Amino acid sequence: MRKNYGPIYVGPVAFWLCAFLSVPLLITLSYSFLAKGLYGGVEPHFSLAAYRSLFNTAVLKVLLNTIIIAVLSTALMVGLALPTAYYIARSSQKNLLLMLIIIPFWTNFLIRIYAWITILGSNGLLNSFLMGVGLTDGPIQFLYNRGAIILVIVYTTIPFAIFPLYSTIEKFDFSLIEAAMDLGASKTKALWKIMIPNIRSGITTAVLFTFIPTFGNFAVPKLVGGTSSWMLGNLIERELNITRNWPLASSMSVVLTFVTMLAVLFFMRSQNKKEL
Amino acid sequence: MLLAAAIVSMVVSGCSEGEKEKPTEQKVVQKPQQQETAQTLYIYNWTYYIPNQVLKDFEKEYNVKVVYDMYSSNEEMFTKLKAGGSGYDLVFPSGDYVSIMIKENMLEPIDKTKIPNFSNIDPEVLAKIHFDEGSQYSVPYMMGAAGVAVNTKFVKDFDKSWSIFNRDDLKGRMTMLDDMREVLGAALKSLGYSVNTKSLEELQKAKELVKQWKKNIVKFDAESFGKGFAAGEFWVVQGYQENIFLELDEAAKQDVAFFIPKEGSAMYMDNMVLLKTAKNKDLAYTFMNYIHEPKVFAQIADFLMLPSINVPARDLMKVKPNYEIADLARSEFKEDLGESLKDYNQIWQEIIVGE
Repeated sequence: MRKNYGPIYVGPVAFWLCAFLSVPLLITLSYSFLAKGLYGGVEPHFSLAAYRSLFNTAVLKVLLNTIIIAVLSTALMVGLALPTAYYIARSSQKNLLLMLIIIPFWTNFLIRIYAWITILGSNGLLNSFLMGVGLTDGPIQFLYNRGAIILVIVYTTIPFAIFPLYSTIEKFDFSLIEAAMDLGASKTKALWKIMIPNIRSGITTAVLFTFIPTFGNFAVPKLVGGTSSWMLGNLIERELNITRNWPLASSMSVVLTFVTMLAVLFFMRSQNKKEL
Repeated sequence: MLLAAAIVSMVVSGCSEGEKEKPTEQKVVQKPQQQETAQTLYIYNWTYYIPNQVLKDFEKEYNVKVVYDMYSSNEEMFTKLKAGGSGYDLVFPSGDYVSIMIKENMLEPIDKTKIPNFSNIDPEVLAKIHFDEGSQYSVPYMMGAAGVAVNTKFVKDFDKSWSIFNRDDLKGRMTMLDDMREVLGAALKSLGYSVNTKSLEELQKAKELVKQWKKNIVKFDAESFGKGFAAGEFWVVQGYQENIFLELDEAAKQDVAFFIPKEGSAMYMDNMVLLKTAKNKDLAYTFMNYIHEPKVFAQIADFLMLPSINVPARDLMKVKPNYEIADLARSEFKEDLGESLKDYNQIWQEIIVGE
């Protein structure tokens, strides 16, 4: 007699997701509807104060800034990862190239950010070089602006775009490209019309894997951002740790989760439609 | 399977060994006095705020044991105590949190007759304390303020004033703290107001001033500015002396000028308070009195490179502090803002987010 082991296999994962994803999300959600404790924490009665204080220009500005940074970084990452993944998939040195992408990950995330600071800083390598060859007189301020945030986010997150793209391109049947070219398509056109639609699932994964962490990032803007480059994550951290308005921090987290979910659903749906 | 069992047994024995070691260490300390039941004082204090040697000397002198737990912010300490993290005798909150803890009925009134050394504390300093009028619940420990550090290699002429942040020629080379009370306090002081003002009008004016400063600074940063300053990336930074000087080597210190701006600054005072739930009140009194022994206090002030509020200790100090009590003459202690806190939060949010 065959037993159905399904529930047992799923059990650990289900428990994990319940205990460490669903329950914390529900706690966050319920905190956002409670009143603020005087010195941190929450008071156990219903209040919409947190959501009301979300509607001020400061928070909306930060939200807008976060969306701009997340969308630009995601576009850049997928745009750069596509040719990279294609090259790796077609190369005879796949393992070596993949290894080269993984190796920087052995270094701590924060150390990699500080490395960028030493490269781009006013006394950094790049400025020393530019001044050394006489291209500029004084140092150029590369850091502490939105561009620096996007650059560092792209650098630290791009492998999450390369790997899913690589794995779908690798499975792609390249004889289809040859067939298209035999029928008169140029190579660019063949890649664009034949390969791209066929690796759509990889693109979707790459977009999701890069957009979600970028949207919630707070360490990068904190370290290389300037006076006006706050992201939603920084605001949440501040409300939680410094002003100690937990309901407000929770309501921001709810908005962050909600916007991310909306973006994901919207994106997945538009992808599905194209496939039909 | 065997392998797993071996690992488990190794881990278990490893743990028990570790546990065994500690008690023997304690016994060594207690041995000379040959006493079975040594008392234990539980202290909850800021990270590295009392030199280890002072604690060891105290243990030896009074034949007791000190357990020293650390926190890195008032909020962290307060949350832990509120969540029921008791068992501590002495805590070291800053002034604003002293008044919060008094309001929350967490503190035991201090019987000053049990601390004869209280009279060593500078009366001028005591007169400035409003968070605990007349020091009924707290014994001052250390005071200080954020100031401005200038790299004199790159900035030769400067005024010892907050107006240094108005200078266009230093644009892109300066940082201020990511701390609402410190930055707004600097602006309020520059305008001649109190750092604890509750007037919205004064706060609005302070906001406009900070917005002017904001154009010239690179960022509001309370974490990595010390490294940037040490690297020569930033030339003028607002900060606490310990965050700045810890990053510098002896040679680099020659090129650094640290000052408390002449307009004054928002000061802090960290205090020893006795919790209502303390089990060992007598020992806590002994400890507070011991801290204010001139010799001991000088040792602590030397270690922290802070000015001494203990008058006789000043003559015993070996290290010149980075600023003197006199430099703080125009500064004010930060008080709990109570209801006005939300105005401050609102204004600060407008500053950091606005263009």
